[in-house]
Amino acid sequence: MLAIDIKKWLPEFRLEASFQMDREIMAILGPSGCGKTMTLKCIAGLVKPDAGSIALDGRTWFDSRQRINLPAQERRVGFVFQNYALFPHMSVYDNVAFGLRGRPAEEIRERVNRTLDKLGIIKLAGRFPTRLSGGQQQRVALARALAGEPEVLLLDEPFSALDSIVKRRLEDELLRLQDYYQGHILYVTHNLEEAYRLSSRMAIYEAGRILQQGGRQDIIQHPASRRVAALTGARNLWPGVVRSLEEEQVLLEVNGLGSLWVTRGASQELKMGQGVTVGIRPGHIQLGQKEAINSFSLAVSHCVEEVAGATYWLTSSSGLSLEARSNSSRERRSDGTLCDVYLPPAHLFIIGDDN
Amino acid sequence: MDLIPVWISIKTALAATLFTFFLGLVAARYMAGRDFKGKSLLDGILILPLVLPPTVVGFGLLFLFGRNGPLGQLFFALGRPVVFSWSATVIASTVVSFPLMYQAARAAFEQVEPNLENAARTLGASEWRVFWRISVPLAWPGIAAGTILAFARSLGEFGATLMLAGNIPGKTQTIPLAIYFAVEAGKESLALNWVLIVLLISLISIVALNYWKKRQYPNRAAIPAYSPEGSIDAGN
Repeated sequence: MLAIDIKKWLPEFRLEASFQMDREIMAILGPSGCGKTMTLKCIAGLVKPDAGSIALDGRTWFDSRQRINLPAQERRVGFVFQNYALFPHMSVYDNVAFGLRGRPAEEIRERVNRTLDKLGIIKLAGRFPTRLSGGQQQRVALARALAGEPEVLLLDEPFSALDSIVKRRLEDELLRLQDYYQGHILYVTHNLEEAYRLSSRMAIYEAGRILQQGGRQDIIQHPASRRVAALTGARNLWPGVVRSLEEEQVLLEVNGLGSLWVTRGASQELKMGQGVTVGIRPGHIQLGQKEAINSFSLAVSHCVEEVAGATYWLTSSSGLSLEARSNSSRERRSDGTLCDVYLPPAHLFIIGDDN
Repeated sequence: MDLIPVWISIKTALAATLFTFFLGLVAARYMAGRDFKGKSLLDGILILPLVLPPTVVGFGLLFLFGRNGPLGQLFFALGRPVVFSWSATVIASTVVSFPLMYQAARAAFEQVEPNLENAARTLGASEWRVFWRISVPLAWPGIAAGTILAFARSLGEFGATLMLAGNIPGKTQTIPLAIYFAVEAGKESLALNWVLIVLLISLISIVALNYWKKRQYPNRAAIPAYSPEGSIDAGN
């Protein structure tokens, strides 16, 4: 288990990160300049935090009180940098072999070849990094980081420089990586979809703070604050008031829309008459469906067609607007027409207004 | 025509370049990417020999290494006085050419992407190994350029050498000194011969060093840095 609890004063803000992770893939999600990369550098030992501690399976890597600060060389984490940081003056083979110094020559050769083979780049062994495509460079960077079999693998926006086709293929590869690499994989990104696809746990960062952390589904289903909901793509957030509390469901009154039944979150404390925020993601809204509850008839204000499906902006008669994604591109609803909208109670979430 | 000044000049320039190379690298590495109080003052002191008149450098060295100077007394006690010896020509050339090497190497080190050095550290490389395997090779064109300039400057050194080493034929008389004293004595054709020899040596060494610099790291073109867009892509 990797346990992190660090503080670092930066020119623009103070980074305060505290989380633990097991041998799994965890994603740090946040906008650029929020302290994500700094967190990775602190873990790797490239930057010294101002306070706190970092420990791996009970071994202390950093502790400001005990004045322990293991240098990066002794932590031996695998680090895949955003621009890959391949050594441009060394061949792919030498890049991967760089971290294996001190071992018998036969072992180095065997390990480099095995790692290159696993990542499907054995044919590139003699080439130089500048002669490689982005996807190939990324694999070399991954091979170099993994060759020494580190306990922790840190990936800093590994896919941001790649085109989408190569990106999807490499994402699959990263997921398959777990078949032969059983370590802690901590992964930084500003792309929610990517974070969700790849990780089992996520931490949402903003301006040096962790806004929320937990299982990926938990964060999507129960964002703890308006900010987390907005950062994770919940475009529809409306103020509401609690009107009725049932065992499984809550009835809300939403201005401009009407009554909404919401499935209760696990440990949510709500009071009658309490002001809350209710939200739903565009992809969870069902268009053209009418149910006994949570169904409304809204006017289409405009629509953007996509490869598979479309995004609709709809408005209620009293001016509340709603963004919905439809996966069917069969019929395009024209602007101004009325459309049935169903908001499934299980996909609605409530945020207490003090958050 | 005796060729001893040619030999002394080459010997001096090579020795001075060797010292300058290592001193310049160490100073450049120390100053690059570090921030401390008085950094610009220290930087100014290291570059000073470049902007001062060589006679001023020579005067300063004479003060240091003279019989009553702090270092001069030490060497005198050891029985090897520096002033008017061949070592004096090397010291003068080293001091005068040092800033060229230092400046070029420092600029080159500052151009090396810090994450390349960081990557090496996470792969377990000691700071020593990071320096020799990553920083120096990647800064190589700048270091080589500094070395070439330092060598050329050593070869042409006159003022400080004359002050510290004097003009002793067969011992401290380098080509620039020989030219000056030949002209002084009215031997213009002799001076012209020296001039042609200096031209030839300078040209050959610069061409050779350029060739060496190009050959050393043909694949060092940097990977372009990438900067990502500014926000979360949270499409649903």
